[in-house]
Amino acid sequence: MKKNVLRVEGISVSYGPIQALDDVSIEVDEGEIVSLVGANGAGKTSLLRAIMGLQKVHTGRIVFMGNDITNTSTDKVAGSGIGLIPEGHLVFSTMTVLENLQVGGYHYPQEVSSSLESVFESFPVLYKRRNQIAGTLSGGEQQMLSIGRTLMSKPKLLMADEPSLGLAPKVISEIFNILRDLNEKGYPILLAEQNAKKALEFGDHAYVMETGRVLFQGPAKELMGNPKVRHAYLGGNV
Amino acid sequence: MEIFVAQLLNGLSLGSIYVLLVLGFNLMLVVAKIIQFAYPHLVVLSMYVCWGMLKYTNNMFLVVLASIVSCVIVNVAIEPIFRALSKKHGLDINVSFVVSISIALLITDVMSHALNYGFPIAFPTDWVGKSVLNFGLITFSVGQAYALIGGIAAVALFFYLLYRTRQGRVFRALSENSVLASIIGIPVVKTRILSYAIAGLLGGVTAVLFARLLGSASPSLGDFVAMKVVAVSILAGLGNLKGGLVCGLLLGIAESLAMGYLPGSWSNAIAFMMILIIMLIKPEGLFGIQI
Ligand SMILES: Nc1ncnc2c1ncn2[C@@H]1O[C@H](COP(=O)(O)OP(=O)(O)OP(=O)(O)O)[C@@H](O)[C@H]1O
Ligand SMILES: [Mg+2]
Repeated sequence: MKKNVLRVEGISVSYGPIQALDDVSIEVDEGEIVSLVGANGAGKTSLLRAIMGLQKVHTGRIVFMGNDITNTSTDKVAGSGIGLIPEGHLVFSTMTVLENLQVGGYHYPQEVSSSLESVFESFPVLYKRRNQIAGTLSGGEQQMLSIGRTLMSKPKLLMADEPSLGLAPKVISEIFNILRDLNEKGYPILLAEQNAKKALEFGDHAYVMETGRVLFQGPAKELMGNPKVRHAYLGGNV
Repeated sequence: MEIFVAQLLNGLSLGSIYVLLVLGFNLMLVVAKIIQFAYPHLVVLSMYVCWGMLKYTNNMFLVVLASIVSCVIVNVAIEPIFRALSKKHGLDINVSFVVSISIALLITDVMSHALNYGFPIAFPTDWVGKSVLNFGLITFSVGQAYALIGGIAAVALFFYLLYRTRQGRVFRALSENSVLASIIGIPVVKTRILSYAIAGLLGGVTAVLFARLLGSASPSLGDFVAMKVVAVSILAGLGNLKGGLVCGLLLGIAESLAMGYLPGSWSNAIAFMMILIIMLIKPEGLFGIQI
């Protein structure tokens, strides 16, 4: 039996009158890659935001490593070990690459230099550009910085929101390789991704969402073979 | 020429006070996203604290400490008001502007009713001191020397804190993107409170230097200076720390030169006229808005 890392139990979230999540439950186990699949507006980002404490949860609960973290403040959620790589390769654009990584280690000031070493080892390009202002990096480099900065906080769970958005195909496969490597090093990953084919190939387990609900779930390979999923999300009817 | 050098020195001392005030003001603006119009009033209030302390002790260390502690306490005590406002209105700097003007009026009223019967206060003459420099028309008082040297030291420390330390990086990260800052684990409220405390600390030091430079203070000094601090901050580009440094010094020098060469009472009109013209040409300020 694999140990559970994250359990979301029947949460609902709304923005004013608009309900973005309705009774959504998901689980992430140790060592696993879990994909959230769904079209525009399905609620993937809202789910990650709710886990991160950025969005108020009305009903249900969120349990991380055995602790209830429902509606906990975002900095505490981050401190407890959830690292979100937000949508749109977000960096602190007026600060240098090195400074971005240093602030990423906020909760572990003693270990910043050792974490830096391992991040630079995984991302030699960040080392090369360590004194460059982050806003002047390419999109792909910014995404690597965003991932590296998240690793500085020694997360026990990585969540990535559309890490491929707005990047060139070659860079996209590079980013996915990086995430794959991180998973092999032991990081469980929760990935939100519009591209269903990519997400199902990448994940061990997957949840297919539509208008705030989970429609299908199961091992990613099985979902890929599910005719309904294929029809609606993979653009085929075979 | 001698007049010019004399006024330049005057201007640099006065300018370094403006710079300190603008830095504290801008720190809260970029980190906590508030316009704290009453910040210079708090500094003037701390000048009153210095003055009160000086009646009991001549120990410079104790006087500076009292000034810093009072300024930190009052500035941090005001923070919950702005936090409550931002809960209601979101982070709206216009709302904070209006509210801080009320706080400023309140402080001015307290000073003009409850402190020294509303009369201006005068610091001991040895605070301003005799001239350390005396060449013909050029005189440079001990107080001016304090303001200039203390000002340079405080500004250097401030920039060191902001650009070379862990806490400085946290401040800058939060000022650029508060949501991203919280995502990477930075406690937003705590860090904002810390920015009030640092601004208070800076204000306490500024109060001592200002007292030594002027040798006196009055209830209306807060309004007078606050107007200039806001003007310099807007002129430089709101929240632009380096711009504030340059423009604060420039204002000090311009004012002093105007005072030396023109009928003294016109120096304010000239300063604000210049600001008006520059704002018409460059609405985003000389160095660009950074909030
Ligand atoms: N700040 C907001 N205010 C109001 N409604 C919002 C807000 N953010 C999201 N929504 C709504 O919530 C629903 C879910 O949006 P969400 O961003 O979670 O979807 P998503 O699956 O991440 O979509 P995408 O693939 O386009 O990123 C949508 O109907 C969206 O319009
Ligand atoms: Mg999204």
